[in-house]
Amino acid sequence: MRATAYARILRMACVLALIGIALMVWSLLDPSPMPVLVAMSVGQIFGTLSLVTFLGVVVADLRRAHLDRAPVPEETGSADR
Amino acid sequence: MIANHPLTVVALACAALASTILLVFLVRRPPLGGATKLWLLLGLGVFPIGVAMAGNVEGFEATKQRKFCGSCHVMVPHASDSNDPESSSLASRHARNEFFGRENCYVCHADYGMFGTVLTKLGGMRHVYEYVTHYRNVSLETAKETIHLYKPYPNANCMQCHTANLELWTKVPDHKSSLADVREGRVSCASAGCHGFAHPFTKPASSSSPRHSTETRPPGSFAATQRPAVSPRLPGQSP
Repeated sequence: MRATAYARILRMACVLALIGIALMVWSLLDPSPMPVLVAMSVGQIFGTLSLVTFLGVVVADLRRAHLDRAPVPEETGSADR
Repeated sequence: MIANHPLTVVALACAALASTILLVFLVRRPPLGGATKLWLLLGLGVFPIGVAMAGNVEGFEATKQRKFCGSCHVMVPHASDSNDPESSSLASRHARNEFFGRENCYVCHADYGMFGTVLTKLGGMRHVYEYVTHYRNVSLETAKETIHLYKPYPNANCMQCHTANLELWTKVPDHKSSLADVREGRVSCASAGCHGFAHPFTKPASSSSPRHSTETRPPGSFAATQRPAVSPRLPGQSP
């Protein structure tokens, strides 16, 4: 369930990054005020958001894997007493 | 055009690589294993950062070009005059100097000083804001009558190249007599009575700075004879 959610978030990050890259390429091919302004603001915000999202998913996935591997602590039962 | 800019090629290559990785991920939907994370790090991190860095440098360089300044229709007469080899305006004469060249708008209008570049870019943002909110729908004729500098043109910008300390400069009588005023910014180098307005469409500064761009000198003085005799010429008009 959680892996499916991660995959969906990552797909959204990929789409966001593709839009950001497209805006940046637009400013390279047509270096006029509006494309340059949009690329340096919206394009880079989209790119940064996608990277942060990816890093967030990776950290969450690693944390989940770590928790799954962690040994269950033995119970020191009060029944012995 | 692109081949002349290696950074543009780098940026486009990074963009192509990142897009390929991202599209493959979107189409094939692989499980989120170690290899997939590594590929996504390249597609979402390394290559897009490459595009952004190379794109920023190219973008900043593009903003220095006269072509960039002239891409707003209200600046076309200024850019055209600068580009006119037969014009004798200050702007055009400076544009014919290799040091200024195609970046003559930026070289002259960029603020001098440690943070000059940053302040100039912030000023450029205001230009874009003014254009989008006000001048976008203003006709060229109206714009020519109303467009003006926010503040008097600083003599320090002229003095980046033209030193006011050498004897060659101070021995000119007009320079000698107005030395303090020029250095204090009370008299503009690019005023009607001195070296003339930079552009054929330049208007005298506001009354808040009475001696800026409005001072006149007696006919026959050094400054008066150096004043460029130019007439506005729009694109498409014959000389």
